[in-house]
Order: sequence, then structure tokens, then C-alpha cells
Amino acid sequence: MSIEPITGRYVTVDIAGAPRRIYFEEAGQGRPVLCLHTAGADTRQWRHLMNDAKITASNRLIAFDMPWHGKSLPPEGFETQEYLLTTEAYIETVLAVIDGLGLDRPVLAGCSMGGRIALQLAALHPDKFSGFIAIEASDFQPAWYDIDWFHRPDAHGGEMGAALVSANISPYAPNSERWNTLWMFMQSGPGVFRGDLSFYTKDDSLIARLGAIDTTRTPVHIIVGAYDLTCTPEDAARTAQAIPGATLAVMDELGHFPMSEHPEGFRPFFADALEKMPVSEAKAA
Amino acid sequence: MLETFKQIQTRLDATPHLIRLGRLFSETVLIEIGGDEYYLTFEKGRILSVAEGPSRKTPWRFALRTDAEALGKFWQARPEPGFHDIFGLVKIGRGRIDGDILSLVKNLRFIKEVLGLARAEQELAA
Repeated sequence: MSIEPITGRYVTVDIAGAPRRIYFEEAGQGRPVLCLHTAGADTRQWRHLMNDAKITASNRLIAFDMPWHGKSLPPEGFETQEYLLTTEAYIETVLAVIDGLGLDRPVLAGCSMGGRIALQLAALHPDKFSGFIAIEASDFQPAWYDIDWFHRPDAHGGEMGAALVSANISPYAPNSERWNTLWMFMQSGPGVFRGDLSFYTKDDSLIARLGAIDTTRTPVHIIVGAYDLTCTPEDAARTAQAIPGATLAVMDELGHFPMSEHPEGFRPFFADALEKMPVSEAKAA
Repeated sequence: MLETFKQIQTRLDATPHLIRLGRLFSETVLIEIGGDEYYLTFEKGRILSVAEGPSRKTPWRFALRTDAEALGKFWQARPEPGFHDIFGLVKIGRGRIDGDILSLVKNLRFIKEVLGLARAEQELAA
């Protein structure tokens, strides 16, 4: 028997003027690191790092399920809504969770759409964070697929979404973690992956903001896997070049979900990224 | 190449979980490799026949068009980036998918795993 050190709780915050019940998990102590999951998934993508004693010895990892994802419910009245994530709603959600949990300038670590919003926050709200780890993150890519495939009454969007994103998983990933990663997409609620992709594949507002990111105040480190077809190493390199002072690491044997698909392969890259982030200032008790 | 598709046909017959996944899939798929046509006719998740083209008379639901070198890399145990998935081949300009793409997407896991039955790792496991 083994009981993991991860604890899960709920926080209710106001987003767009209405309460949202948000599920979050945490492990560790020390510098707060807020972790954002990819489109169509949830906090379980971060469980390996949250169970990594060397990482959590000096870092308090916190991950939350976005509304509509995982254990966070959709808003009241969702049954008549079309879920379409926007940059503004995503930013409001992340900031509301930081306030709700009382986090003091956490490092923000986001993957895929979480990495995209991390860079948006680096440009628009750097005062709320101490640094940014943007994983599989880039300025913008249009969809190379039709996002409407993933929400239709005659087929299972989750199974189709999982089959599509399997294209982004490295053949070096252990088979068990490949399938654990895909399971989250299979479980995703109807239309949620599509609604996330709408944000990810249509909003190109970050491109014009990259040059405004001040990495002397808040460092930005971008990590990308060579097997990522959605955010390729070229996409990530272009983005890093547009951010003065940003650093980039390319992982030759990983794909788009590195912390989930291949935890052992990703660990050194995440540890290195944390090394690049400022240590929290000591606060009076 | 015909032998490889026949091998896939045989391995599929011995892979019950894939036959279950494909139980609603009864279509003909065209695989075109450097201009050579291969028609894979599926019936309830099994491959009934593999026929070499050219054929102007064989209707097909969707097609994957690629080249022999790209497909050879796709079938390696650990392909290089881009060659590891049929959509990767398309993304790097070494493949094209035509026809009823929605039919492919609805059966995407099945089709990808059927094509993957010729992977080197499958030979090791066999």
C-alpha cells in the first residue's frame, strides 16, 4: 500500500461575475509553482512531478482543473452554452485561482494552451508571477485539423480527440503513460476539447505582445518536445526569439505532453527550468 | 509492399481488441505508395482483401498517399519525428489524406493501430 503526498481540495472563486467551484491539488512546500494542464485534460497530467520528492522538497506544486475540466464543474446553465475558451476568460480564471488560494507571485508552469496563456500572462500580468515555464508553448499555430470533429452527436469526441493527440506523443514514451495520457482526453466532457482548441487555434493576439515581455523581471523558459506536431521545435524557437532574454530547451525524445507521457524523460528538463526561476523572497511570518 | 499489407491482414486477425474497435468499420481504404495503389477492404474490423492497383473501378472511402521511404520510416520501432504518425507524414509534407476524412477520424485509433501492425516492434513481439 502507498498513499501519495498529493492532496486535493476545492476552492470557489468568482469568474465572469459568477461562482465557480474549482478543484485543485498540491504537494510540497516552499516556492509556489502553479501548474496548468493542456487542452482537453486535467491536473492528473502533473501527478508525476507532484509525487517527485526531489522537486517538492523546495517547491509547492499546485495544479487546478479549469472549469469544465476534470473535477471542476462547468458554470450553472452550461447545458445551453457553447463552451468556447477565450484568452480573457482564461486569464481571469488563472488570476482568480491565484487570489483564491492566496498565492504570492508563483512561478507559472503551463503546457500547450497552458503554456500559451503563461506567455500571455508574462506580457499582461507579470506582477502576479515570479517567472514562467512555458512548455510546448508558442506564439500561435492555426489548426492542422478541424476542431468541429471533436464535438458531434454521431461520434465520441473524446475517443477521436485521443486518437488525434496520440500523434503528439513520442514513441519513446512508456506505453502505460501514453495510455494514461490519452485516457484524460477520452474522459473529456462533450465539446470541451473543441472549446479549448478554439482558443488555442484562433486567437493570435500573443504575437504582438511577445516583445513586451520583460524577462529581467520575470524569466521565461520555453521547453518543447521534438515529437510535438502541434507546437513544433520551430514554433517554440520562433517564439523564444521574439521574447528578449527568453531561453529554450528542446527535448529530443518527448512530445506534446512531456510531464504526463514520459515523466522520467521530462524530469531533468523541469528541474532545470525551476533552477532558472527566482527563489521566493523570504517573507515575515 | 503487398506482402506487408498481407502481414497486417494476418496480424489483425490475431488482434481481438482491434477487431472489436473496428467492428463498425466496413470500408475500402486506398494506400498509395509512390504512385502504386493498394486497396484494403475492411469488413467489420477485419481486412477481407488486399488488392493491388491500378484500378479506376474500386471505390474507396479515404486514401493515404505517401512514399515508400516515408512508410518505411513510419514502420520503424521508433520513427524519427514526423514519421511517427500518419498525420505527422502529412504535417512534414510526406503524406496526403484524401476522401472522407471524417470517416477516418471516427475510426482513427483503429486505422492508426492497424497500419502500425507492420511496425518493427510488432515483429519483435510476434
